[in-house]
Amino acid sequence: MIKIENLTFRYRESEEPALHDINLTIPDGTFVGVTGAAGSGKSTLTYALNGIIPHCYPGDFYGSVTVEGKDTCEVNLTDLSCVVGSVCQDIDSQMVASIVEDEVLYGLENFGVPHDEIPARVDQALADMGIADLRDRMIASLSGGQKQKVAIAAILAMNPKVLVLDEPTAELDPASSLSVFRLLERYARQHGTTVVVVEQKIALMAQFADMLVIMEHGGIRYAAAPAEVLAHSDDLLRIGVNCPRVTTLVNRLRADGVYAGPACRNVEEARDAVLEVLA
Amino acid sequence: MIEFRNVHASYNASVPVLKGVDFTIEDGAFVAFVGTNGAGKSTTMRLIDGLIKPDEGEVLIDGVPTTELRTSELAKRVGFLFQNPDSQICNNTVRDELMFGFKALHEEGPEAEERVAGIIELFGFDPDADPFLLNRGTRQLLALASIVVMAPQVLVLDEPTTGLDFRECEKVMDIVRTLHERGTTVVMVCHDMEIVGDFAEQVIVMNDGRVVDQGPTFEVLRRRETLERASLVPPQMVDLSLTLAAADARLAQAPVGRANTLDEMEAAVRAEAGKGAGVAEGAPVVELAAAPTAASQSRARVIPFPTARDDAAKQAAEQGGR
Repeated sequence: MIKIENLTFRYRESEEPALHDINLTIPDGTFVGVTGAAGSGKSTLTYALNGIIPHCYPGDFYGSVTVEGKDTCEVNLTDLSCVVGSVCQDIDSQMVASIVEDEVLYGLENFGVPHDEIPARVDQALADMGIADLRDRMIASLSGGQKQKVAIAAILAMNPKVLVLDEPTAELDPASSLSVFRLLERYARQHGTTVVVVEQKIALMAQFADMLVIMEHGGIRYAAAPAEVLAHSDDLLRIGVNCPRVTTLVNRLRADGVYAGPACRNVEEARDAVLEVLA
Repeated sequence: MIEFRNVHASYNASVPVLKGVDFTIEDGAFVAFVGTNGAGKSTTMRLIDGLIKPDEGEVLIDGVPTTELRTSELAKRVGFLFQNPDSQICNNTVRDELMFGFKALHEEGPEAEERVAGIIELFGFDPDADPFLLNRGTRQLLALASIVVMAPQVLVLDEPTTGLDFRECEKVMDIVRTLHERGTTVVMVCHDMEIVGDFAEQVIVMNDGRVVDQGPTFEVLRRRETLERASLVPPQMVDLSLTLAAADARLAQAPVGRANTLDEMEAAVRAEAGKGAGVAEGAPVVELAAAPTAASQSRARVIPFPTARDDAAKQAAEQGGR
């Protein structure tokens, strides 16, 4: 479980806090999608979960963040990274090896995973991400999207209890983005992994996440099931979050009573809503 | 005009990236390239900009092979916005970044200064800011501004909205649209099919180093099977329209089954339901807008900055004056 209580954080060089009075509880195995406008605090929230703040970025930290029973202020980053696997927004800053296989091996070897387990875990992670054919490639020769897949594979190989990913599909094509979200969903459902994804692709998050967290000016504007959050499409647009178009369509029909059902999250739900309207 | 004639290209001769690509892009067009990672889209953009040369075939810009054009000549005609603005930004202040192109072409002077000042005002930049301390969205805007200031005839955009939030994305694309409306040819690689549907007039679908489909935007985006073969899905409203048409044969012939945009779909549903504002039951069906970007064009703004067409007009006026 992740428990954030009264969290306020201000970077040392900033006058305003990047996070302001955050309270959020995330049960084990929950798939959480976080979005918001640039500068709303999304990335800083991920830093709070993986311990980058307060351990790496100095600043004023108030409140507490507990991940799997560990207070992130009281354990060191090494211990925390045994529990929380992170994929950064800037993929190049995360890569430590020059060959894809070595990148996936790095964490396993450094965290003392028994040697006889390592090959199978590397194989599985590469296969899960659909990049087995990149195994021997130089990382410098990969596209941005391919690097993102390698970074996610390296984290998946570690089997962390919590996955924190900051825009993991930014450079991926739609099919690859979809397969990453399906994979993350599988980890949440089958392995009980808690998944926290920061993304601008709200249509994907609406489809897969159990909870959507919408951030605004360092605070949480909404934290609820996707259909509940997406019902507020006008307010979301005001704060710089664009709903999926099928959601906007159905919300417009709901607004004047043409359709009385809930907000929809995807094309299938919109199809059912329209067919009901036309029935 | 940009022409690809049986273009083959590779980074390493043993791994071909483009395997015989043919297409023509007319002056003033707005073309989106779509396809999966590794389909060859970014390589195609680099060939247009002359950053790489074809192994076989020809890439022609205004009838001249890129192999015969000097880099500086190509750079004047074709502005290239990289996927990652950090691949492009190389100066310590915003003003220096915007002046960089003029310096590289030895075209510094009062006119360059004036253009840079105009762009700084238009984009709302702090001219003394350190580009590397700006957030991702602002760095992307700066990278775009540093191209816009040079007024190229062709704007090549490799994933211009990656990593941007909704508002930043709107700002970038508003500027691109205004440039296009004023005559700039826009060639864009984009994974976001909603943006493709909103802005592009034509779409070229690439898969495994080949062009597998091309044509007017919504004609291509409604060919679901072709898109699926290239691991793509249509924009949501097209997807919904096709899904409704598949679910109910009656709807396939109705406006609902032909709607491409949010506004078209809303109007079609209301008309079909007989409950639209001012639409009586039995009223004629809604005529769909012919232009694919009708909805998005309503948000267009006029942005006063130089384009290649302005430059040409100015040059002609000056010559006429002499």
